[in-house]
Parts: sequence; C-alpha cells; structure tokens
Amino acid sequence: MTSTGKQSRPRMGIKSRRRLGSTITIALLLFFSLFVLIPFAFQLSTSLKTENQLFAYPIEWVPDPVAWDNYLEAFNQLGRIAPGLTFWRILANTLFITILAMTAELIAVSIVAYGFARFRFPGRNFLFLLMLSTMMLPSIITLIPTFLIWRNLELIDTYDPLVVAAWFGGGAWAVFLLRQFFMTIPKEIEEAAVIDGANTFQIYFQIMLPLIKPALLALGVLIFRGNWNNFMGPLIYLNTTIKFPMVVALKFFQESLSKEAPKWHYMMAMSTVMALPILALYFVAQRYFIEGLTMGAVKG
Amino acid sequence: MVISAWETYYPTLLHWLLVGGGIMLSVLIVYRILRFFGVGREAATGYALITPWILGFLIFSLYPFARSLYLSFTEYNIFQPPEWVGFDNYVKVFTTDRHFWPNLKFTLFYALLNVPLGMAGALGVALLLNRALRGIGVWRSVYYLPEVLPAAAVALLWGWILAPKSGLINFFLRPVYELFNLEPLQWFTDVNLVLPSFVIMGMWGVFGANAIILLAGLKNIPQELYEVADLDGANAWQKFRIVTIPMLSSALLYTLVTGVIAALQIFTQAFFITTPTRAPQFMSVMIYREAFTFRHMGYASALAWVLMIIILIATLGVFRSTSAYVYYEGEKG
Repeated sequence: MTSTGKQSRPRMGIKSRRRLGSTITIALLLFFSLFVLIPFAFQLSTSLKTENQLFAYPIEWVPDPVAWDNYLEAFNQLGRIAPGLTFWRILANTLFITILAMTAELIAVSIVAYGFARFRFPGRNFLFLLMLSTMMLPSIITLIPTFLIWRNLELIDTYDPLVVAAWFGGGAWAVFLLRQFFMTIPKEIEEAAVIDGANTFQIYFQIMLPLIKPALLALGVLIFRGNWNNFMGPLIYLNTTIKFPMVVALKFFQESLSKEAPKWHYMMAMSTVMALPILALYFVAQRYFIEGLTMGAVKG
Repeated sequence: MVISAWETYYPTLLHWLLVGGGIMLSVLIVYRILRFFGVGREAATGYALITPWILGFLIFSLYPFARSLYLSFTEYNIFQPPEWVGFDNYVKVFTTDRHFWPNLKFTLFYALLNVPLGMAGALGVALLLNRALRGIGVWRSVYYLPEVLPAAAVALLWGWILAPKSGLINFFLRPVYELFNLEPLQWFTDVNLVLPSFVIMGMWGVFGANAIILLAGLKNIPQELYEVADLDGANAWQKFRIVTIPMLSSALLYTLVTGVIAALQIFTQAFFITTPTRAPQFMSVMIYREAFTFRHMGYASALAWVLMIIILIATLGVFRSTSAYVYYEGEKG
C-alpha cells in the first residue's frame, strides 16, 4: 500500500476504500431487502394467527399459539360454500390449465418461430412485422369478441377457452424471442442434415429442438407462470365453482366469506399455498426464469 | 352436486388433442397444396410452418379487432342481436357518462406516478445488484421474489398491509401519528388516498422484471468505457450520466414502453382490492364491469377503443420524445 508515484491520485487506501464501498453496498442490500422480506414475513405470520391476534398491537410477529389449523380451516370454509372444491381439486384444476396451455403454446410457437427464422418466402418480412404489431394490440380490445366466439361455440364454463387457443401460436412475444434464438444457430448444421437426406420434420425434431432447449425452458417457465397467475381468463370463462383454479378460488373466497369482516388469516394462508408451487419453481429454475425475462429486452 | 374432476377435464382434453392434431395436419396440408401449385420447396415449408400463427391471427386478432370496432357502434346485451346506434356510445363516453372522465384521470395519474417512480426504483435496484460482491446471487434471488408472486396474491397482501386498522404500514407509522396527534391514514378506504395507495403498492414492482432487465443491460456495457472515463478523471456521477445512462437507454426505453402499456391496463391488482364505491376505478375494471356485469357489450367495446387509442398515443409519444436520446449499438457505433 505504498504510493507508486506515477499517478496523481493517492493510491493509499484504495483497498480500504473498496472495503468501505462493499460495506455500504451490503448495508444497502440489507436495508432494501427488508422491503421485500417484511411483507413476506407479514403474510406468513398473519397466516398463522387466530382472529384475535390479527388486531393485536404491537404486531405479534411470531403468533402464540401458532394457528397451523388456518391452512386446513381456510380450505374447509371454502369447501362449505363450494362443495367439492378441495385443495387438491384446485391444484388439479390449476395444473390442468397450466400444463395444457403451456405445452400447446411451446409447440406452436417453436414451429412458427422456426418458419420465420429459417425459410425465405414472399411476404415474410411483412407477416413478421404484422405479428410484432399484434403485440401492441391491447388485450382489452379483443376480450369481448373473443368471449363471444367461445360463447357461440357454447364453450363458456369449460376449460377450452383457456387451453385450446394456445395452439394458435398466439404469443407474438414468444415467437419473436425464439426466432432470435433460431437465428443464432449456424445454418451449416441443417445443410449437413439435408445432404444426409433428412426432411424438415426430422431436422426440426432431431436437430433444432435439442439446440433451442435452453430457450424453450426459459420460455416454458415464463408461460407456466403466466398461466398459473392468470386471473382475467378464468374469471370470465369459468362460472362453476368446482372448476376454479387457484387465483379465482382465492377471489371467490374473498368475495363470499370475507365481504364484511375480512378473514385475513385465512386469506393469507390460501394465498401462501397458492404461491408455494410457483415459488418452488422459481427456486428450481431460477436461471431460466431470469433468462426468459431478459431475453426480449436485451436482444430486441 | 359435485362433478368429478375427470368429467370436467375430459371434454377439454379431447378438444385440445383434436385441435392440436388439426393444427399439425393443417401444416402438412398447406405444404402439400402449395407444392401442388408449384410453389418452391423452401417457400412452401415456410408458409406451412407459420400456418398456426396465420390461423391464430385471423381468428383471435383480426376478427376480434374488426368485430370490436363494429360492436362499439351498436347496443348489444348478448341476448338480442346487436343494434346499430351510430356514434351514440362514443357520445355517451365523452358527455353523459359521469364516471368516464374521473376514471380516465385516475388511470392516467396512476400511470404518470407509477411508471417514473417504478423505473427509478428498478434502476436503483439494478445498480445495487450490479456490484461485484461475493454472494450477490443470493441477494438477487431475494430481490426478485415479488416478481414471482401472482399479482392477485400481491394485491391481497398489500390490501392487508395498508389496512387502516392493524395493517403493517399504520403499525410502523403509529409513533408518527401519535407524535403529531394525527388520525391514522385510511389508505384504500379513503377516497382521496386510493390513488397514492395503489402507487405505493405498485412500488413493490421495482423488485422484479424491470430490475432484471436493467441489470442485464448494465452487464452488457463494455467495461472499457468506464476505464476510459476513469482515465479522463470522471467521477462516479459523471460516469453514470455519460456512460451508464446512454448505454442503458434502449433497455430503459423498453421498460418505459412496457410500463406505460401495463399501467394503463392494470386490472388484477385493482380487482382484488375493495375501494369505496365513490372512488374512481381503473379503465380496465370499468370496461370489465360494463361488459360482464351489466352486459353492455357495445358500450364496453367503445370504451375499449377509447382506451386503446389513448395507449397508442401514449406509446407513440414516448417513442417520439425519446428517439433522440436512445442509443443503439451498431447503429452509430
């Protein structure tokens, strides 16, 4: 830590200045993480309180006694107003919607993106721009006519509107991301396969799909989350309580049981249960989650 | 009456498989037809592969778009056929509807507050998470948590945090209230505080997608630029202004545009929070209620068109006013 004399700025203390810098950074990180963690802690703590503990001052962060029963009781109460709507049923409903919609969308989107990325045909650029422009179309515009389409097909109060439409390569944003990804793959790989006599289907399934797997996973995680958290779709299309997925069941519980005096402890318990699967997915597939969120903005 | 799960899943599963098979088949058929008419192999494959999107575009974008425009000139309650009323719906929106202007003002003010505050916050978070520090990955995992939660769960949680009695915020503010002898703020239940309450709730969004995107943008900035700035004797603020902001401008523009569009269409959060009936509502909630509670499909379509044009103007405004400032690598460099 001696001065080299070459630079006018004092070299002395650069190490300690860096240490000070990282101490400040850590202090800031800690401070702001409280804004994330305290609400989470509040949710968890509330979900384990009895009704009386809810209104205690000061807040009991660790309730005494711990009301583990809330998690059962919340769903019992829900089951009383919506017969048959158990936790497992809601989970099955949510998974059914999410997995079907995600699978269809991934297949459709990857085929369309492949077409846009790899084959030259008249009008390709125009069609691609047209597709991008649909991203600007607010969903509120198409909402009512789309509802009327499903109503004319007499498919209201079924899962069809939530999962079948996913086959139509709807996510312009997803097509765009995958197309960008396809374009980074060298064309020689396919040309070699063509020489070997492979047809388009073989090339797509045996060569391209394995190569775009990271992008598909990233997209898959995001599409999964989107469907899991989707509220407006099930709200509009599903009427029978037994068919409700998590988010709508939560809304139903809030509307019918908590209208006058909000049962915050039950609602926080339900909302915690609802978030757990998606949080688990986040911790397992965090890399893909973050990749998916950044792909569009940085490359686009 | 309890219906078994399989009974409700089975028809949809069948339709799902049929439509999926149909889509795959249509890809093949389009290819064969195009080849039959002498279209080249490459072009035919290309058209065939984008067939799912073309069908989807016609059925779920173009047709609803046109139909929505038509419906906005009609009165339609679903049960009787639509009745043409000319510009009546639009006249009603701008003149006799007592709720439209307050609701529009409310939505616009929300976007005006939420977007800049949210972007500044997200940039701060991104700068903090960009520091080279051991264990920064763990911090990032923590900071992105709110992004993962369903919007519904976030709304519910913040409705409780901002509850007038025994909510978290009023718990922390209690000493302040007592010191100045103030009445506790009533947040979502006070007509005048509904907007600030939504903005506060929205601020939780700074931990999330925008921060992730801006962080990725920060990492893409070549380190040499900072080294050059160092040699020129720039201080931290100057480096931030001269290097960071211009190099980040395309990511900032992206978050700005998506932020404006999302803020003007906010729905789920608003739907989960009970506000006084006298309080204004967000435009999306208003449109939803007109359409699905009151069955005014025509009027709701007109409202949707007005909202779309406002979103369009806002987006174009953002692009026009920022085009001079956004730096794209490869364009000039």
